[in-house]
Amino acid sequence: MIKLHTKHGVISIELDAAKAPDTVANFIQYVNDGHYTNTIFHRVIDGFMIQGGGFEPGMKQKPTRVPVQNEANNGLKNDIYTIAMARTSAPHSASAQFFINVSNNDFLNHTSPTPQGWGYCVFGKVVDGTDVVDKIRKVKTGSKGMHQDVPVEDVVIEKAEVV
Amino acid sequence: MSANTPHTLFVSDLHLAAERPQITAQFRHFTGSIAPQAQALYILGDLFEYWAGDDDTDPLGAEVAAALATLAAAGTRVYLMQGNRDVLMGAAFAARCGAEPITDPLLLDLHGTRTLLTHGDALCTGDADYQQFRAYARDPGNQAKFLAQPLAARREQMLGMRAQSEASKQQKAEAIMDVTPEAVESLLREHRYPRLIHGHTHRPARHNHTVDGHACERWVLNEWYQRGGYLRCDAAGCTAVML
Repeated sequence: MIKLHTKHGVISIELDAAKAPDTVANFIQYVNDGHYTNTIFHRVIDGFMIQGGGFEPGMKQKPTRVPVQNEANNGLKNDIYTIAMARTSAPHSASAQFFINVSNNDFLNHTSPTPQGWGYCVFGKVVDGTDVVDKIRKVKTGSKGMHQDVPVEDVVIEKAEVV
Repeated sequence: MSANTPHTLFVSDLHLAAERPQITAQFRHFTGSIAPQAQALYILGDLFEYWAGDDDTDPLGAEVAAALATLAAAGTRVYLMQGNRDVLMGAAFAARCGAEPITDPLLLDLHGTRTLLTHGDALCTGDADYQQFRAYARDPGNQAKFLAQPLAARREQMLGMRAQSEASKQQKAEAIMDVTPEAVESLLREHRYPRLIHGHTHRPARHNHTVDGHACERWVLNEWYQRGGYLRCDAAGCTAVML
């Protein structure tokens, strides 16, 4: 179980190591290394997802380790309140950034092992604090430099821990 | 190449908006005086800065529809493709324009040369967050959900988006990444090496790609934030023209 502490409250996430072993191991290592502490949810789109874990306040990107294999073909779906790894268009490029779905985002699911069909790997779900996720999804957003959908007031992950 | 050679015109990324009346005036001039000479006009997306739905009663939409309907009635075929800003533009608006909606991408015989048309955003595979968002915005379920909201609510959300990009100076705020070579090559290979015409990146140019030994031309259309322009194609080839 992972707890993300924010000023809006605590988000408790149950990870599925059986269905996404590499992704969960990678995520837990970032948690234990303190990577997520003082990162922000930098991309919030209500009705879609909230994304974080990559930038400090001020949009300063934190360094990451080597990417992990995409495990999106594990049968888990991008349903509301599940957590998934963000990545580039290269299927196996996920490192630290993650997002929490705030809708049933079927179109993000794995359909085939091709660049277009790989999908985004779901590796857990929010089991407590969906109300906190709902607060975050509703914050006012704007542009910051090249980035859009950035919360006007930083939504900071004050601490991330394994419990 | 005289004005009367059979030819086809392409535009995209006009981003028409009430706050740029001088650009709307250029559009009226284009549809009234230039496009009637052409056999067909293809609009490859982002005709409007924002589009809240075909039921929008905004006068700009009506004005544009009237201009295109007049053009179509005079004998120039008009084709409308959705872009990323006007992904919600549908068959109802196209009908008011006397236009035929076309899918993205579209392969056609253009005065003897196989040509593929696309808006261009699908080729910017380097922008990971955008491709994730594109999947969201193009999902029919999400579109239906959005369109089910009252027009006033949709307009408000669109205005919020508009304020967002204007606050960081429109063109730069989007930080539109360019198409990636891999995505272009993949598309050209898939459609057996056609000529490619697209917009979206706001980097008008003519490029040459060699894919699997085949030489392919890629034309990028200009955006109309400062000045309108179009691509004119006939049996001899294409030329970019500024208004």
